[in-house]
Amino acid sequence: MKCKACSREAGENGYCELHMKAHENVIGKYKVWQEAMRIPWKEYLSEIVKNPLTGEWAREAAESMIKSGEKQDGTSN
Amino acid sequence: MEKYTFVITEKPDAARRIALALDIKEKPKKMEENGVPYYVAERDREIVVVPALGHLYTVAEERKGRSQYPVFDFKWVPRYVAEKSARQVRTWIDAIAKLARNADVFIDACDYDIEGSIIGYSILKYACDGKDQMSKRMKYSTLTKEELEKSYAEPLPHLDFALIEAGLARHEVDWLFGINLSRALTVAAKDWSGKYTTLSTGRVQGPTLKFVAVREKAIRSFVPTPYWEITAEVEINGKVFEAQYEKEKIETKYEADAVLNACETKDGKIEKIEVKQFQQPPPLPFDLGALQSEAYNLFGYTPSRTSKIAQCLYLDALISYPRTSSQKLPPAINYEAILKNLSKASQYRSLTARLLACPELKPREGSREDPAHPAIYPTGDLPARVLEDSERRIWDLVIRRFMVVFSEPALKQSMKTHININGHRFLLNGRRILKEGWMHFYEPYVRSEEMILPPMEEGQTVTVKKMMLINKFTKPPSRYNPSSILRKMEETEIGTKATRAETIQTLYDRKYVQGEKLTATDLGLEVLEVMEKYCPTVVSIKFTRELEEKMNRIQTNNQKKEKVLAEALEILKPVVEKLKKNQKVIGEQLSEAIRKSRTDERIIGSCPVCKTGELAVLYSRKTGKRFVGCTNYFKGLCKTSFPLPQRGVIKPLAKGCRGCGWPTVQVLARGRRAWTICFNPRCPLKEGREKKE
Repeated sequence: MKCKACSREAGENGYCELHMKAHENVIGKYKVWQEAMRIPWKEYLSEIVKNPLTGEWAREAAESMIKSGEKQDGTSN
Repeated sequence: MEKYTFVITEKPDAARRIALALDIKEKPKKMEENGVPYYVAERDREIVVVPALGHLYTVAEERKGRSQYPVFDFKWVPRYVAEKSARQVRTWIDAIAKLARNADVFIDACDYDIEGSIIGYSILKYACDGKDQMSKRMKYSTLTKEELEKSYAEPLPHLDFALIEAGLARHEVDWLFGINLSRALTVAAKDWSGKYTTLSTGRVQGPTLKFVAVREKAIRSFVPTPYWEITAEVEINGKVFEAQYEKEKIETKYEADAVLNACETKDGKIEKIEVKQFQQPPPLPFDLGALQSEAYNLFGYTPSRTSKIAQCLYLDALISYPRTSSQKLPPAINYEAILKNLSKASQYRSLTARLLACPELKPREGSREDPAHPAIYPTGDLPARVLEDSERRIWDLVIRRFMVVFSEPALKQSMKTHININGHRFLLNGRRILKEGWMHFYEPYVRSEEMILPPMEEGQTVTVKKMMLINKFTKPPSRYNPSSILRKMEETEIGTKATRAETIQTLYDRKYVQGEKLTATDLGLEVLEVMEKYCPTVVSIKFTRELEEKMNRIQTNNQKKEKVLAEALEILKPVVEKLKKNQKVIGEQLSEAIRKSRTDERIIGSCPVCKTGELAVLYSRKTGKRFVGCTNYFKGLCKTSFPLPQRGVIKPLAKGCRGCGWPTVQVLARGRRAWTICFNPRCPLKEGREKKE
């Protein structure tokens, strides 16, 4: 199975080793954003995709989450 | 024929200087043996000073076979046997051997450190027919006449064999790790892809790459989080200052808005003024790492460039031996004489006079010691030639740092003003220098900004002119730069002062890292991933440091070289076996990264015409000639293409054209000045040029 964000081999959660950590970070940091500015999940994902400080892999993970409609608990629409 | 004293030095420049110092008339004869220069000096007897060319001998495998591994049998051989590019070494060794034949006293005058000791030892042992056992050793830290004469008159009775053993162990262990691991990676990639690419890793290179890769992964996986800062623009005694809210980072927008709303349109009151005076001691004397770090911060010189410049200054007898880890300046170097000599240069006259007027010269020193050399210091000699800009800067830096360590601490004052605005505290920080102390001597290089606040009183009312709310985001960790990675290697004690800069350069040469801020490439990340998966011990900092410690113990006669080698082999053998067993998988993983790296190198920028592809250096299928075309060109989706010169190296430039923003390349052709090409036929800069013509 290929990674949801690149062409590398994916692990159990559908992400390769490199994007797995980035994916965890995207999910983990949502709590901070939510507390800081009461932002909904989808808007949060768009914000971090736009933010120039977001790392390349984190952006790719967020983009793939937007595309697949992945929620903050890891489930999809 | 009368016998003479044979002195071996590390490089021709050192031979010239030593001969000049030892010849009674300071006019040694320059001679040549089959193109190899040497010097004949007259003193109590004839002295023949012969230079080496750095290392003339190296470790090589017993049986040749470029892609064979594992390799555990090795021997020391002349460099021309192991390296095709070292052909001239044969002439050099033959000349040394011939000149050694008529000598009866042998002196090793190579630099007194690990590398210098091995250079001298291997020449005396192999080229001079076992004279290592009878050779004496000159020990000096500067190439000044006085010190060279003294070290010649009072040489150490024999070579420093413990230092040599430690050096041999280091070379042999590094060779074993380097050759086996590098070949494992290179062979795996070649067998899978059919294409040869040199890949390398080693005992020090692996952990260094790991530092960069770990940082790179953290940056690429980074998710910023928001926070807010509030600044109050306040007017005090007619002047406007910016006071910061006491909480530097406000985590929620709600809290930030609440503070802002409470403070807007309100005046402030000075609640408290805290004034502190403190002393800032002068910086420590330079060791090589500190000099490299300072030169990078001040002039942007890479560590390897600084090292080369410092070596030139040392060979010109302007500074002491630079490859030192000492932060000590012993009185034996004669502080006063150095300062007196420096005062002959007009730019240092008043500064040295101030120090010489002190009742006592006592340097501020650090804790690190180096048994072979003191910290870097100026010899006091003035340049006999016009120094290049870079040399002049480093020389000046060394001189000023030397003066600084004898001077007084600087006296500074910090002032923290607490301003209460409607129950919320804001801080206004000021700093000023009360007494310059050492900063006066280091003036061009001092980075200290003063922020002088006007006289204020507690209870005084201040007008709040404006409140500012700034939304910020946390930043990813910074990438290493050549200076900070060097410091990291020093802190973790991996590599030696002589080889660290070279290891960093190798990471660039192998394309594992790129850019001034060390950015790990996909190839670098892939190589590290392979290493961590199949041989984590080799890239572990703990293992590398332990091995370093063992090698250091050889130097102090507390460990045997054979034992260290045997232990290293015990670790290496299973690692290489594992790599060999997984050669196919590793080859596939690395080949993909190499292919991507090669493609990336050819990409110039995004296609300004179709906006979906990228402009890249392509090759015509018919003629084989190169041109710039869109990556969609061969798919028939975009016909954008531009001609390219067929000779020279094409280097894509990160910056777009300053006239139109289109991608640009630089062409580097032999015998011509490099030039830049913008591919936009309607570039305003080209139009301007055409009009002129």
